[in-house]
Formats: sequence, C-alpha cells, structure tokens
Amino acid sequence: MNKRNVGFYIVDGIYLAMAILPILFGIAVKVLFTPLSEGIAISGARIFFSLDMPIQPLIVTESQLNSLIVMITLLGICLYLTHGLSVRYPTRRQHLAEWLVEKSEKMTFSNMGEGFSGFPPLIAAILGLSALSSLLSLFGLYPPTSDINVVSGWAITVFALITYYKFKCGPVYYLKSFGDPVPLLAPLNIISEIATPVSMAFRHYGNVLSGAVISVLVATGLDGLWGIIMGWLPSPLSEMAFIRIGIPAVLSVYFDLFSGCLQAYIFAMLAMLYISSGYPRDEHMKRKNKKQINKKTA
Amino acid sequence: MQTLEVISVNLWQILISLANLVVLFFILKIFLYKPVKNIMAARQAEIDSGYAAASEAEKSAKADRDAWAEKIKTAESEAQAIIKNAADKANDNSDRIINEAKDKARDIIRRAEAEAELEHKKAQDDIKQEIVVVSTVLTEKMLEREINEKDHRELIESFISKIGDGND
Repeated sequence: MNKRNVGFYIVDGIYLAMAILPILFGIAVKVLFTPLSEGIAISGARIFFSLDMPIQPLIVTESQLNSLIVMITLLGICLYLTHGLSVRYPTRRQHLAEWLVEKSEKMTFSNMGEGFSGFPPLIAAILGLSALSSLLSLFGLYPPTSDINVVSGWAITVFALITYYKFKCGPVYYLKSFGDPVPLLAPLNIISEIATPVSMAFRHYGNVLSGAVISVLVATGLDGLWGIIMGWLPSPLSEMAFIRIGIPAVLSVYFDLFSGCLQAYIFAMLAMLYISSGYPRDEHMKRKNKKQINKKTA
Repeated sequence: MQTLEVISVNLWQILISLANLVVLFFILKIFLYKPVKNIMAARQAEIDSGYAAASEAEKSAKADRDAWAEKIKTAESEAQAIIKNAADKANDNSDRIINEAKDKARDIIRRAEAEAELEHKKAQDDIKQEIVVVSTVLTEKMLEREINEKDHRELIESFISKIGDGND
C-alpha cells in the first residue's frame, strides 16, 4: 500500500479545492454583479469589460469566465484522480480515472477506426467542457454553451480537423472530392461542407439556449397564473408565487441535466463521425504504401 | 451592468473558446491520459514479466520432475540388480555349503564303514583264534592225546575257514 501521510491529504485538499472553489467563485461573482431589481428577462451573457482590439472589441463576458471556471474545475478533477496512482494497489479514484480513459478510448476507436490514436483526449475535452458548461446552469450560473461564440469556437476546431484529414491526400484530391459524384453537384458539396460546423454550433447552442428560454417562459407564465388565481389574497401572499416551487425543477432536470449531457454527447459523436468520414483512408493508405515501395526501390 | 444580445457574434470570443478547447485537450492529455496510461503500461509490463517468470518456473519444475523420474527408474533397476546379485551369491554359498557338508558326511560314512570292516575282520580273526583254541582243547580232550598245536594249526584253520565260508 502506498503511504498516505499528511502531505498527501493536503495535496488532495488543494486539488479538490481547485475543482470546487472556481464554481463557488462564479456563484459569488454572479450574485455580486446581478442587480437586485432585475426581473425575469431573456438576455445574453453579462459583460464584465471590453478591450479595444482590431476588427472588433474583445468583450469579456460571463461565458469566458464560466469557461475558465469549467477548465480549472476539470484540471482539478484530473489532478485529483491521478494523484497517488499505483501499479499494484489502485484506489477507487484510480479505478475511475482508468475507467474514464479506457471508456473514452474505446468510444473513440469504435467510432473513428484505427489511425486516430491522438483523439481520445480531444473527444474527452469536448465532452467534459460541453457537459460541465451546460451543467453550470444547475448552480444558477450562465451556461457558456448558450453563447453562440463559445460553441462556434469548438465547431471551428472540429471543422479544421475535418479539413486537415481531408487534405491528407493532397490539395488536388481534396478539390476533386467536391466534384463527387458529379461535378455539377460541386456547389452543393461546398455548401454542405460549410454547413457542417454551422449546424453543429447552432444545434448545440440552440438546444441549451432554448432550454433556458423555455424555463424563463414557464417561470413567467407560472407567475402570471398565480396572479390570476390567487390575486384576491392580501398583498404579500398574492405576490409570492408559490406555484413556481417545484415545476421549474422538473423542467430543469430535462433542460439542464438531460439536454446538457445529451448535447455534449451529440457534439462529440458528430465531431468523431465527421472527422473519420472525411478522411479518405483507403486512398491515403494506398499512397503511403506506394511511397514506401518507391523509397525501398530507390 | 450591460448584457450581450442573445445572438451576437464576436470573433475574439470565438478565438478564446477555440483556444480553451485546445488548452483543455492538452490538460487532459498531460494530466489524465499520460499518467493513467503510463500506470497501465507499467501494470501490463509487470503482469507480462510475472507470467514469463511463472512459465519459466513451471518449465524448470517440469524438467526437474522428469529428471527425478528418470533417476528413480534407474535406481529401481539398480536395486533389482543388487538384490539379484545378492540372491545369486547367497544361492551359490548355500549350494557350496551343502555340497561341502554332503562331502564331509560321505567321508565320515566311508571312514566309519572302513572302520566297521576292519573291526569286523578283526573280530572274525579273533573268533577264528578262539575257535582254534577251543577246538584244539576239544579235540585234545576227545582224542585224549596231545595235539601238537603247532603241527595242526594250519589244518584246523583251513577247516574253520571252510566252516566260516559255509556259514557266511
């Protein structure tokens, strides 16, 4: 058994604090920066400050802060899980870490096939970032995934990878692939190529944002309903919408928990499928073999 | 406090988000995948070496067992040979002893027979002597005259021996 002294537990505590404190910090910031008078409204992320940059001003909003919170939390979780690894006596957290690694590798390889050995961490990063970002709404924080800019950043990353793998056989082969199966369809192929990241970004962002919008609408509607039914009650009671207790929680289970995790899964799945289907494996292998044979004969 | 519009595209925010994903990719790769995979590889190596050592030990144990079985087999045959030798020797010994004893016994019997023969002859001679003496005395008495023992001895003896022969 590996030794567990005080230092080990202190480091453990630091890592756990790294995972939990950022979320508490986010909640504190949210509480501090939200005006008391704010009613129910559908709006984008709160702006903290903006810097003058070329093309567009760099606006730092809640999405950026909350993304950072998610990343620090994930880093803390990673460090905690991999702290005190041992070959012979794995602890529960080591089992969890190994399970995560093996599961993500299995998922990636079964969806993408061979030749994508570097992808499990990326897929895990997409899954973790997306799911945790959406789940932040459980703490009352602004989920960065309901910001189109955040999700399109990920979609552009995926698009770059798709194009990189399509380019594996050279630019000529890449351009030719647009004239497939008939050169007449080239414009449509180009549109579908561009539509891939756009649809990915909008699907994810739209799902999370629509969940938030529906939650707000339901909350407002319940408020009004209470006013209509219980309006005859004396003043403080008629304004406290007790009907708002409970029902939004059920909606939250779907929109925050289920939809958030599902959208993360869908985004990761689509990324894997698009990247692996865009990669002309047979052609690439053929060229590689030919090159090797040429090298051997030369 | 200002808020963004619900849909507002900002290039820098997109870039920040893109960078975030790449950074998180490296965080996961370095802090989760690398240590876990290292540990798993080390465990695999340990298991492999353990299996190799076990099969090695099994092989040597089998070789030992075979060698000992071989040794036991030769030992058995050796023991049998020793027992056979000993039995043969013992048989030889006993035969020799018995033969010697038989020879000795035959010797003793022969000697005894010879002695008995001798005694017999001696007794016969004695008896003849006696008879001669007795018959001389008897004839002296019958003839009432003295017989010269010396003169008639031969005659009497031949007579007695004739009688003896007839009796025998």
